Amino acid sequence: MAGSQDMFDAIVMADERFHGEGYQEGYEEGNSLGIIEGRQYGTLHGAKIGSEIGCYQGFAFAWRCLLHSCTTEKDSKKMKALESLIGMIEKFPYDDPTYDKLHEDLDKIRGKFKQLCSLLNVQPDFKISAEGSGLSF
Amino acid sequence: MKDSLVLLGRVPAHPDSRCWFLAWNPAGTLLASCGGDRSVRIWGTEGDSWICKSVLSEGHQRTVRKVAWSPCGNYLASASFDATTCIWKKNQDDFECVTTLEGHENEVKSVAWAPSGNLLATCSRDKSVWVWEVDEEDEYECVSVLNSHTQDVKHVVWHPSQELLASASYDDTVKLYREEEDDWVCCATLEGHESTVWSLAFDPSGQRLASCSDDRTVRIWRQYPPDNEQGVACSGSDPSWKCICTLSGFHSRTIYDVAWCQLTGALATACGDDAIRVFEEDPSSDPQQPTFSLTAHLPQAHSQDVNCVAWNPKEQGLLASCSDDGEVAFWKYQRPEGI
Repeated sequence: MAGSQDMFDAIVMADERFHGEGYQEGYEEGNSLGIIEGRQYGTLHGAKIGSEIGCYQGFAFAWRCLLHSCTTEKDSKKMKALESLIGMIEKFPYDDPTYDKLHEDLDKIRGKFKQLCSLLNVQPDFKISAEGSGLSF
Repeated sequence: MKDSLVLLGRVPAHPDSRCWFLAWNPAGTLLASCGGDRSVRIWGTEGDSWICKSVLSEGHQRTVRKVAWSPCGNYLASASFDATTCIWKKNQDDFECVTTLEGHENEVKSVAWAPSGNLLATCSRDKSVWVWEVDEEDEYECVSVLNSHTQDVKHVVWHPSQELLASASYDDTVKLYREEEDDWVCCATLEGHESTVWSLAFDPSGQRLASCSDDRTVRIWRQYPPDNEQGVACSGSDPSWKCICTLSGFHSRTIYDVAWCQLTGALATACGDDAIRVFEEDPSSDPQQPTFSLTAHLPQAHSQDVNCVAWNPKEQGLLASCSDDGEVAFWKYQRPEGI
């Protein structure tokens, strides 16, 4: 008796069952495709930020070498700003995209870089492209 | 309210152009105006009339948006849409451009000198506020680039006695900044306006700040230091700011400027409906919840938007205004009887 009831159940509810199974399969596929797309986007975005910060860091290291021997008071202000920028860049948590002050700290780094350029009297023309970053003065 | 604001005279300061801003020198004897014609003009009295004493025309390639006098009165700073800020040194009736400050990526919207005379602030459409330090040899150095706002920054103003800087932005907020360990940080964000905040003015004591907005209101904010009597919570050692009064329903268009008279405490506004209004605080109102009454309303003060109002720092009741119609007008304000 119970057996024949289940069999009819299977036929009558077939439509709904296939709908549910289809949804589940689609959801899982969408999920994994989404993760792939998200990862690609994240890689691109992360690379842009990394590239920008890397440029600032290289710039700061180069100038630190150039100013190493100078000892005037003006130069000490430049050195202070340089060390401050290098410090901020080193402290930045590169492996934590969920860091709550991510954008705030990035803006502080950008601000310090601009101040440094002003003190060094250098006008950076910063372009980041997919082929690699170009930094011209 | 009749006759509380009387016209003393008009001058076609920037003909065929807009007059954007006015600034009285600390002695109250000269008025600087700037405009869309890329020039700065200096006005002084000769008998009963106002005449142009100098024209500073070679400094900028585009509109000059704001001008500001140094506290000593010997220097004038001009902020321009050409992304630079010029510093002019006064030599009797002549002005010489001694430095041009560069760095902003686009239009500089405002410039202001700190009361000490050693610091200068500029702000721009590039969303940043820059703080500059000037030494005895007139050398300017950038000490900080602040990226706190998320949109165009319209105005910067310094506290009358502390080294506290305030900025107003298209992002609907007012931000305050102070120095912390050789760098400048944003120590407060004032939210409440529902649209662009165009201008700011501190009261004579510096305890309160007035802001005016595209949302057609003026808001008064009060500073509450830590451990204040009123029990307003503060985080850390920074004071908290609370909005203690909102003047709404008085202006029918955007309010472009607000000026707080340092002699009398009267508040003047410049509005996009071509009118000038003056408000005074009711003497009996609670300092924590003050009320302001409209004591003067002059419709059609100009034939177009009023861009700026400025109280003379030495002569009580003397108010200057300027407009998109290119004119500068001088007014005598008298507090009406019985208020």
